[in-house]
Amino acid sequence: MQQQTDQALITAVLEGNSSAYAELVNRHKRFVFTMAMKFAKNREDAEEIAQDCFIKAYRALGTFKNTSKFSTWLYTITYTTAMSFLRKKRIVTYSIDDEESHLQLENPISSYQANDVEKKSKYAYLNLAISQLLPDDAAIITLFYQSEQSLDEIAQVLKMESNTVKVKLHRARLRLKEKLEYLLKDEVKELL
Amino acid sequence: MKTIEEQIWEYIDGELSGKEREAVAKKIADDNAYATVYIEMLELHQLMATVELDEPSMSFTRNIMDQVNLETNPMALKTKVDKRIIYSLSAIFLVAIVSVSWFTMAYIQFPAFSLPSLHFNMNLEQFVSPLALQLFFFIDILLALLYLDRLYRSKKA
Repeated sequence: MQQQTDQALITAVLEGNSSAYAELVNRHKRFVFTMAMKFAKNREDAEEIAQDCFIKAYRALGTFKNTSKFSTWLYTITYTTAMSFLRKKRIVTYSIDDEESHLQLENPISSYQANDVEKKSKYAYLNLAISQLLPDDAAIITLFYQSEQSLDEIAQVLKMESNTVKVKLHRARLRLKEKLEYLLKDEVKELL
Repeated sequence: MKTIEEQIWEYIDGELSGKEREAVAKKIADDNAYATVYIEMLELHQLMATVELDEPSMSFTRNIMDQVNLETNPMALKTKVDKRIIYSLSAIFLVAIVSVSWFTMAYIQFPAFSLPSLHFNMNLEQFVSPLALQLFFFIDILLALLYLDRLYRSKKA
């Protein structure tokens, strides 16, 4: 069976076929959840944020103008919802523009300690390093590498200029490399 | 002046023009500092590209659809605004503007020439009779009832 485009599914939902929305959710849930994880740091809160995003998107589906990709529009909602969540929870974060700031999480490795075997893998270290970044840094890196969004699309999601996103991406990658080097110490030589 | 890291990232991301790209490629080939940074950045870049997305719980979609089913169906924005309302409002404003302009032009005293004056010879008393007033109020009440009925139905839906 030929896969329907996002736009075809949106049209179906707008015509009253709400079950078509389940397909849209299934297509984008992993990325929305991953983005939410960058802000919430635990699965329960991330699921709450991600579900909230999809409900908001459903309510606002009639306003989607198809001038951008549905994913870009959805990730904008995700980013806004996640930021609101952070404000509500009053998690202490620092401005992305504060070059010298270092995010201090309550327990940054809690969600990664469950599986010692996985922890030793390079992906676990990478996830840990990303989790220790500022939420905006983690969001930019996630959007760039895992959602196949261009710099212009990321700029649209984060409501920033493309050049600003480019600079922030560059800085985020440097911070990520520093975090990885710190986490792996001697092992980083083998990884990088 | 761009740092080595910035140049290498732009090279890896494919954001450099032909000549810039060649220049950076030459530096990577000739300069050990560039080559070292390039290898490190490329490894990180490739590692990042292979990271898998997190998977939400099995009931994720079902939970959303349960909530979605409680929501009213979304509608395309264009269908929410009845074009007849826009056209009616436009017509009212257009008539008002034309009337005001006409009235103004008719009663302005130009020094050099004068426009033909308008004479309305209408006897309104022949239209305003008790029966006409009763008919007018009856239609008003009828329209009000229709409007309330429609409002109640839309709220109920």
